[in-house]
Amino acid sequence: MSNAKFSRREFARRAAIASAATLVPATAFSTTQPAPLPTPQQPANTPPLPSASQTEADNRTQLVLTEYGSHLTDDQKSEIARISANVQRQLDTLRKFPTENGDDPAIYLKPLMEREKKPTPNPATAKPAATKPAPTAAKN
Amino acid sequence: MPTTPDLFYLPITELSARIQSKKLSPVDLTKAYLDRSEKLGPKLNAYARLTPELAMQQAEAAAKEIAHGHYRGPLHGIPYAAKDLLATKGIPTTWGAKPYANQVFDYDAAVIEHLHRVGAILIGKASMIELAGGMGYRFAYASLQGEAKNPWNTQCWTCGSSSGSGAIVAAGLAAFAIGTETFGSIVCPSAFCGVSGLRPTYGRVSRYGAMSLCPSLDKIGPMARSAEDCARVFSAIAGHDIKDRGTVPLDKGAFTYSPSLDLKSRQLKIGWLTNAWKSLEPGVDTVVAAAHTAVRRFFPGTRDTTLPTGPWEEAANIIIAAEGAASFRELIRSGRIGELHDPLGKVAGYVNETIPAADYLQANKIRQLLQKKIDTLFESYDVLVAPTLPVTAPPLDVSLDATFGFSDSVGAAGNLCGLPALSVPCGFTAKTMPVGLNFIAKAGDDFAVILAARTFQQHTDHHRRHPKL
Repeated sequence: MSNAKFSRREFARRAAIASAATLVPATAFSTTQPAPLPTPQQPANTPPLPSASQTEADNRTQLVLTEYGSHLTDDQKSEIARISANVQRQLDTLRKFPTENGDDPAIYLKPLMEREKKPTPNPATAKPAATKPAPTAAKN
Repeated sequence: MPTTPDLFYLPITELSARIQSKKLSPVDLTKAYLDRSEKLGPKLNAYARLTPELAMQQAEAAAKEIAHGHYRGPLHGIPYAAKDLLATKGIPTTWGAKPYANQVFDYDAAVIEHLHRVGAILIGKASMIELAGGMGYRFAYASLQGEAKNPWNTQCWTCGSSSGSGAIVAAGLAAFAIGTETFGSIVCPSAFCGVSGLRPTYGRVSRYGAMSLCPSLDKIGPMARSAEDCARVFSAIAGHDIKDRGTVPLDKGAFTYSPSLDLKSRQLKIGWLTNAWKSLEPGVDTVVAAAHTAVRRFFPGTRDTTLPTGPWEEAANIIIAAEGAASFRELIRSGRIGELHDPLGKVAGYVNETIPAADYLQANKIRQLLQKKIDTLFESYDVLVAPTLPVTAPPLDVSLDATFGFSDSVGAAGNLCGLPALSVPCGFTAKTMPVGLNFIAKAGDDFAVILAARTFQQHTDHHRRHPKL
């Protein structure tokens, strides 16, 4: 057991930011100052997030805006902030739920046994139509 | 062949009896459904497209085989529609979304293959919510095909994401339809449209060739006139598939349905979930109260029970968001997500992409704990029963945030744990809008929900009511 200098929630918050950051290419981390965060439009009865959670949600919003802001309108930026806050609420709830180190996640690898190594007869991806190429079909 | 509105609403059991005895030709039946679909389909935005050439080819082949004494079984010569996220060789498969409007696969999904093998006739691809709602949506118009209109009131929505499948079955445009569910997409349109819809146990039906949204929750199932019809379709599409590693093992996949199934073969222990919904919409409450009384009468020994509490919805939402972001990563990263119709769908993927892996795994730990809790509940009950939804179909133009602002723990738990569920109509409000009743069983016991829902329908006639179109 290490001597943690910050709370479990703070650790989770930092870990969340760190792992989210790994999803963003290096170009996202420019030296320019981040733009001011948009104000999310929340329903009137939605309670505010605790400050650590709000910080995490803001960081998530900033991450998205840095990466994709050029695609987005001001309304969409506000929507991003709103969704980030909603996601944060759900993450907070899940993090509070007690789980143990030994609790299995519902994810298991199925080892590829010999009998399952038969080649798949058909491709699992779309093929563009002969006359109308589908720009994204082959990627899905 | 004279066609009457009744023909379009005959259950598969009756249609197949007429086809087998050569009183009804698959060619005539297919033509009749195609004509009706051409006439009414566009008014409901029910189809992504009709497939008349393929349908007539298949119908003629079926007629020829049956004439020569080669009857394949209860789906031989029966017309159906498939949700437009199932690959169909040479026919566009749009996933309900503009970025995939011209997408064409060169093979059939496993489900399409299975249905072809038993002689069913594909008459069209059913409209759907874009990407099955995988990027989020807030409006009924979140579809390349426009908002699907409810045959019971065309000012109202069908629910999603199997929107067209619900409209098609309710309007009598095909004998059955195939839908898919990640979280509510079969049972909700079944309830809103007054049809019977089976969400099978996770892994019971191969998803090979189906659009992947959330691989650990995606399921495929039938929507039809009755629980018995669902069983017949389910028995044709269930089974292990080497091409879908999510399918259950060979010995647990297949499902056999016998018409001679004895209703008393198994005394079901029924639990009525009292905490499924915080409250019921006025009008729905009276229908549900009557259904509760009926269930107690049809299943002596029915007891009230409760679903274990926990962050089931949060776990389901985070898992769907994270897996959905992975499934559509290229769409998100390219910015083409902005081509979706729904304002929420245009941007939610950007946020979902940032969900930390540790939180995704925490959600999956909670999922495993929930499985154990639910399994304990099934030591006392074979089938849990609850209203499918606390509301009826909302108007087409309202924000779904307002309509679906309630918590859905039953839907979250059922989908997180891969449980089978069958929603059947249990009555109508004063405004003649259908209300659904949901039967849920432990994983693998699809037979129990079919048996329970079939018993309910043996004693009621809500599933025999049809909208005036």
